Amino acid sequence: MNDATIDRTDRETATPEYDDAFDAIVVGAGLAGSAAAVTMADRGLDVLLIERGRFPGAKNVFGGVLYTPTLRELVDIDAAPLERYIGERRFGMLTDDDETAVSISPGEWHDPPHNDSYTVLRGEFDEWFAEQAVEAGATLVTRTTVTGLLREGDRIVGVETDRPDGAIRAPYVVLAEGGNSLVSEGADLKDRERRENIAVGVKEVLEFPDSDEAIEQRFRLSGEAGAAYHYFGEGAVGDAFGGGFVYTNEDTVSVGLAYRLSDAATSQPDPEATLNAFKTHPAVSPLLRGARTVEYTAKTIPEGGPDSIPELVHDGAVIVGDAAGLVLNNGIHLEGTNMAVESGYHAGEAVADAAGTGRTDAAALEAYREDLEDSFVVENLERYEWLIERVQNDRELLFEDLPEAVADAGHEYFKMDRAPKERHAAAAKEQLLEAVGGYTGAAKLAFRYRNLI
Amino acid sequence: MSVQPHVPEVENESIEDRLYTVTYEDPGDSHLDVAIPGICAEKCVTYDCVSVCPADVWRKGEDGVPNIAYENCLECGSCRWACQHGNVEWEYPETGAGVTYKNG
Repeated sequence: MNDATIDRTDRETATPEYDDAFDAIVVGAGLAGSAAAVTMADRGLDVLLIERGRFPGAKNVFGGVLYTPTLRELVDIDAAPLERYIGERRFGMLTDDDETAVSISPGEWHDPPHNDSYTVLRGEFDEWFAEQAVEAGATLVTRTTVTGLLREGDRIVGVETDRPDGAIRAPYVVLAEGGNSLVSEGADLKDRERRENIAVGVKEVLEFPDSDEAIEQRFRLSGEAGAAYHYFGEGAVGDAFGGGFVYTNEDTVSVGLAYRLSDAATSQPDPEATLNAFKTHPAVSPLLRGARTVEYTAKTIPEGGPDSIPELVHDGAVIVGDAAGLVLNNGIHLEGTNMAVESGYHAGEAVADAAGTGRTDAAALEAYREDLEDSFVVENLERYEWLIERVQNDRELLFEDLPEAVADAGHEYFKMDRAPKERHAAAAKEQLLEAVGGYTGAAKLAFRYRNLI
Repeated sequence: MSVQPHVPEVENESIEDRLYTVTYEDPGDSHLDVAIPGICAEKCVTYDCVSVCPADVWRKGEDGVPNIAYENCLECGSCRWACQHGNVEWEYPETGAGVTYKNG
């Protein structure tokens, strides 16, 4: 790795005069943290936003698509550093050398607000979003790590930081530290998640040094349109539970994958080797040839679903975003950014309401939990819980046997020879039925997934 | 039709070159450690920390205790959950040190 060269945000360091100077402290200037900071600052609270990276976004990684329905209510996203809107979604099932894909590109997605789906680069976006919190009145400190929480009895009354005399007291603490929640876990506000419920993700941002047109041409794009390609099956992540992706940014593409840590620890090769195999798959490599790596990143993703959400509200503190396990990955929907912003917003509102009454106890902050449970965040997590469980149980069928059978059946159905088409159609049908266990198996499969429709 | 290779060449860079794409500031001390080396040496046979690490931080050591190339760390946290003995000690690198992503 090269030496430190970037310092875009050389802000003042935390000093003791911050002690007792703020109504609320937000731990982490990611999407959830900045959403909470903007919300509270808009309500007139004095907010301290603490970020351990050199600038907001410096430590943050995601797949690549930001969902903005709540965000647009908080800030003017027309001014935000967005890369491309998502004009096409493609879902490809990969065996080791076949692809069977479905693509959707509704006309509406090309019109504003583009289904509230945009690729962004977090290093730029998160810095911009935190600046919106600062413009709303919040104070941002970077290069400052929260190392623990201050308590009076059971009540959380501030944070301990790595700065000299680094204790900072404030009535409310919003924990937006991300999925690797050392502070929340250290303070016993959250249990450590099982590795079966954590995905490891790796991603590369790639550029095409020899071609200015590569992205537009390969992904059939014009203007600000972009594409989100999702991949499943053996060719994406081997026998692991997860998937791969290729997203188009303005001048780069983001290529990556994520799968469960328990698979990485056991049967599936390490994340970097899995990424190499995915990038060289015959259906993926034509999109990427001639590309050069701009950045290699890694992160973990909490995918435990509704059962993994910790106690959200404590005396003097609330937990939001990835730290609260708010990620939906049901195979079709891969969402976290919208849930992070929604949770930060509701938490910020609840803190502002509580501050109006002067109370800091958990009961006074309970509105956050209630509002989040009434929102799409918890509703979606609960709605798809059954699906994720079943897909995990059926993973060999769904990600290996069925893609293989569909590719073989497709090959058979369209086969060019001198046999009548009827014979090919019958053989293709036979191959599909065999994979799912005959008509009985097909009926059972349809029954198991009936709630999808 | 001209002859085209079925799979066009895609260059996968080495882990060293990949890690060179991110900015890194050495905090001086490792933010990673094993809690009880004896557990690695005597109880662990799977080395899950090595298997899951996307950045070649964790390497099998000759004495059975992993060597930790902490300066490679991308701070994903995988090792912390992967270790079935709960033997990974993980702290955030302090005062902005560690990895800095430009894109993310």
